[in-house]
Amino acid sequence: MISNNPSNVAPVAISELPLEARFNLRVRAADKKAIEKALGLTLPDRVGLAGSTKQRTALCLGPDEWVINSSAKDTDTLEASLAKATVPHSLVNVTDREVTWRLSGPRAAELLSAGIARDLAKIKPQTGARTIFDGVQAVLFRETEHDWTLSVWRSFAPHARHLIDTVNEELASGL
Amino acid sequence: MTDFRVAGKGRIAHQRPVHFTFDGVSYEGRAGDTVASALLANGVHLMGRSFKYHRPRGLVTAGSEEPNALISTSRGAGRTEPNTRATMQEIWPGLATESQNRWPSLGFDVGGINDRLHMLFSAGFYYKTFMWPKSFWDKVYEPIIRSAAGLGKSPTEPDPDHYASRNLHCDVLIVGAGPAGLAAALVAARAGSNVVLVDEHAEMGGTLLSEPSISIDDVPAWTWLDKSLAELHSRDNVRLMSRTTAIGYYHQNLVGLCQRLTDHLETSPLGAPRERLWRVRAKQVILAQGAIEKPLVFDGNDRPGIIMAGAAQTFLNRFGVKVGNSPVVVTSHDSAWYAAFDISDAGDRVAAIVDTRAEVSPPLLKEASARSIEVRLSHTVTGSRGRKRVSAIRVNGVKTGRVGAGQWIDCDAVLMCGGWTPSLHLFSHTQGKLDWDASAGAFLPGKKTESCEIAGAGRGLWGIAAVLQDGAKAGATVLDALGIGGNKIGFAVANDRIGTGALHKELPTDGNPSRARAFIDFQNDVTAKDIRLAVKEGMRSIEHVKRYTTNGMATDQGKLSNINGLMIAADALQREAPKVGLTTFRPPYTPTTFGALAGYHKGTHFDVTRKTPIDGWAQDNGAVFEPVALWRRAWYFPKSGEDMHAAVNRECRAVRQGVGMFDASTLGKIEVVGPDAVTFMERMYTNPWAKLAPGRCRYGLLLGEDGFIRDDGVIGRLADDRFHVTTTTGGAARVLNMMEDYLQTEWPDLKVWLTSTTEAWSVIALQGPKARDVLAPFVEGIDLSDQAFPHMSVISCKVAGFPARLFRVSFTGELGFEINVPSRHGRALWGKLWAAGQPHGITAYGTETMHVLRAEKGFIIVGQDTDGTVTPDDAGIGWAIGKAKPDFVGKRSLARPDIVAKGRKQLIGLLTEDPKIVLQEGAQIVTDPKQPLPMKMIGHVTSSYWSEALGRSIAMALVEDGRGRMDQALYVPMPGRDLAVKVVTPIFHDPQGERLKV
Repeated sequence: MISNNPSNVAPVAISELPLEARFNLRVRAADKKAIEKALGLTLPDRVGLAGSTKQRTALCLGPDEWVINSSAKDTDTLEASLAKATVPHSLVNVTDREVTWRLSGPRAAELLSAGIARDLAKIKPQTGARTIFDGVQAVLFRETEHDWTLSVWRSFAPHARHLIDTVNEELASGL
Repeated sequence: MTDFRVAGKGRIAHQRPVHFTFDGVSYEGRAGDTVASALLANGVHLMGRSFKYHRPRGLVTAGSEEPNALISTSRGAGRTEPNTRATMQEIWPGLATESQNRWPSLGFDVGGINDRLHMLFSAGFYYKTFMWPKSFWDKVYEPIIRSAAGLGKSPTEPDPDHYASRNLHCDVLIVGAGPAGLAAALVAARAGSNVVLVDEHAEMGGTLLSEPSISIDDVPAWTWLDKSLAELHSRDNVRLMSRTTAIGYYHQNLVGLCQRLTDHLETSPLGAPRERLWRVRAKQVILAQGAIEKPLVFDGNDRPGIIMAGAAQTFLNRFGVKVGNSPVVVTSHDSAWYAAFDISDAGDRVAAIVDTRAEVSPPLLKEASARSIEVRLSHTVTGSRGRKRVSAIRVNGVKTGRVGAGQWIDCDAVLMCGGWTPSLHLFSHTQGKLDWDASAGAFLPGKKTESCEIAGAGRGLWGIAAVLQDGAKAGATVLDALGIGGNKIGFAVANDRIGTGALHKELPTDGNPSRARAFIDFQNDVTAKDIRLAVKEGMRSIEHVKRYTTNGMATDQGKLSNINGLMIAADALQREAPKVGLTTFRPPYTPTTFGALAGYHKGTHFDVTRKTPIDGWAQDNGAVFEPVALWRRAWYFPKSGEDMHAAVNRECRAVRQGVGMFDASTLGKIEVVGPDAVTFMERMYTNPWAKLAPGRCRYGLLLGEDGFIRDDGVIGRLADDRFHVTTTTGGAARVLNMMEDYLQTEWPDLKVWLTSTTEAWSVIALQGPKARDVLAPFVEGIDLSDQAFPHMSVISCKVAGFPARLFRVSFTGELGFEINVPSRHGRALWGKLWAAGQPHGITAYGTETMHVLRAEKGFIIVGQDTDGTVTPDDAGIGWAIGKAKPDFVGKRSLARPDIVAKGRKQLIGLLTEDPKIVLQEGAQIVTDPKQPLPMKMIGHVTSSYWSEALGRSIAMALVEDGRGRMDQALYVPMPGRDLAVKVVTPIFHDPQGERLKV
């Protein structure tokens, strides 16, 4: 027999973020300064760390790789400013490649642990990681203690979202 | 009905009756009971039939090691489970349980005939009996054996339950919440480390639950237990999980836990999983799994009512149930004496304590005497009576190795104890070494391979004080390893029960040992004489003895039988036990559901199904789908009444005569950017790129180092330092990996970067003579004429107001465009083009039509027309190689002697003599169908379709020296007839490519 849930409130609030601007940026360490100047943004040099200004955020995903997030209206400005940079680099607009959710609540990390093998306690606020969520490549970012964003490629989104919703129901069940 | 419940005893809720059924009969138990304890309380001992001889069996243990009391449980359709251990299943109102392996009933079982014929079913019976005649195996023996094999009935309905999984990281994982585990947990928790404590039982406490008379730190054991658990519960750094079995211990301290969440509940909350599999990565692991009591091996030791003494003590103290009114204790270990004392103190008459040893400690004798219990030392047990319940037991004095006359003692239960086996299953999973301790008569943990400690009875210690102390020590040791300081804790234990025992093979008898039914493995019905027979017939290693007799191969993995089997085998071989060896335990520790292992991956969530942004439109418009790699793609779009053939023919006609549209979003896309982009492209692909101007495209061919075709696709140059590479749908990830591999390991000097953009773009192909008419109105400020925007052009522009990369390319041989727009706009653009195309008769087509159209043009599909052994020249696309280039991946291999040799298989076209016949893809090709068998096969059909444009069938094939056989007749032998075919150039439609130049 199945009994009903006392409350219909999902333990973790999940929202899909609107598409703004997302770029994959690649540049070598020696040329990083010039790009930072063009962006007006510090590019952290350790994988997982993030740097941000009011508008732009850079999360380091690899030794020469950052994902830059910004607002939609900043797209052209950002592209134009980097087009002027003369050092070798690669800027590719991948705004539409991924779907991003924000997961908020004290149990968000527990929910994520259903699909992520990493020790989430070691990912501190304002840091992130490229990882695997239930077999799907994902970029995880911890905004605050209880707010996370998870980005997966668009076609993997239904699969990932299905698990997120399933686990949320599981958390609501109290077991 | 007899009531064996002891008022006021146990931890169950005496005031809360719970009704459940066993074999259709309703029984009353108490909240907190297991099925086993509740049935015992009702005087029911007979709970099952043995696997091979169908002998009546009762439970023998109170834990997860139970070999006999296997029942099926049910909570509705799809929710039946066979082989549930009655000792672990908690009761709830309405629980329905059934016995197994009996027909028509548990009391009268036809299969019991096997027991009468037991002399026939000796060890190795199947190997010996079913050898001849050999031809009988497949048709007769195996089907019969298979239908007879297996214990319990598998459910036939799909399992409606939901199974969960989690990853968990901690400093210390402690397996087993008995005294050792609890002490370790207290030490580790108080030092602030992150602790996970798990126990397979409903209640934590382990042996403390069965030993209420002991006091710890001046309070009764149960008070101490409550206090300790409350302290652990109150700490944020501790996670306690009961009903949780550590099923496997894997590399680098990864331990799998199976947590049972709803099987004990009458109602389960909506959305709750039945079980949850935890993957725990612990910095340190403490194994405190305790020890498992060993049976004594004597004739008739499997009769219902003969149970382990420790189990009887547990049933009394934890569940308030006595196993009989006048039990006899037979033992070789002190622990059973305490069980006898507890039973006597609860008001029962213990008929006798029979000990195999000549001497036991005086305090035990004194305690027995104080309770007026008859004691018989230096005795053996040689038989039992009673069909479905033991009624008497035969004991004999043993003097200087001679077995004296037997004497029957009446009883209604026998409590046996042959000592205790440290439970080292998880340690064994780590491939840790086990050392034989002759004095303890047990294997103990030796050299470790993982960061773990073994504490308590699991390493052969005995007595609560010793075990608590050892647990605390293990806690301190792991804190040291973690670099965390902790305070030492000690325990004051009063009324402790320490003890020792003797180790036996089968007990001596005055009867004929070869007729004795002295069971070792209750579940698989293996007897002592089976082991001796196996040795006699040449088995030397315990691994062989195990497989010959099936000892330890049942679902309990020999938890009760392994050491007894080893002692007997060692005796028969006249070798020491460690020289005969111990079989390796493997995960899972106890039987685990497939559901727990599969977790979330079932039904629609079984695996990822990738869908494009346009997939929904295809679904709404009746598409039939096919899987391509992880994607599902629209295969064809049948109109009502159309079969696949008709739909594909219509779609093909539309593209050749009007305009078709196709969702090409799944094509892999890689953006290659950087000042060295062109150098990189020159090295990766066979084609020349240096002179390709921005705004132009080229077909790109990718080889492996071996010179064989790996992938292909159209590549557009967007700027001097930027290429838009497309790959095959299935090759996208592979190609990117290969490129990254070369870039990072071979050419780290190149200033170029690769970014997957597959899913950044939605791609719509418009193909057909009217493609331009449909597209032109949507394109702003671009002249789409053949002069201004010829075949193989690319431009960034706006299409229908969306930013776009517009390609003029064709995989059909018709005028064609591929429009890339940011994925979010793909569905909208598709809708606009679809609406605008209606006056032009626009037709959506799927992958099948795409395949036919490209085959009509002789375009290859990598992986269909190539198989990893095909070079560009073999495929007839040697033109794609930049002859002047100094190097590219695979170039040197193309000069290998076997690659330039004559007689390689080459891709050619085939036309059947009968134009209506469509060849089968994969069919073999011969020159002469009359040649003797085996025929020499010179190639096979790779692609074959009905071509609507040609009004006949077409095919492509890889044939030895194919291009040297133009116009030759070859044959495709098929069942019933040989099909004649003619070799042709594989370009069937518009060989001059005139249709592209419009």
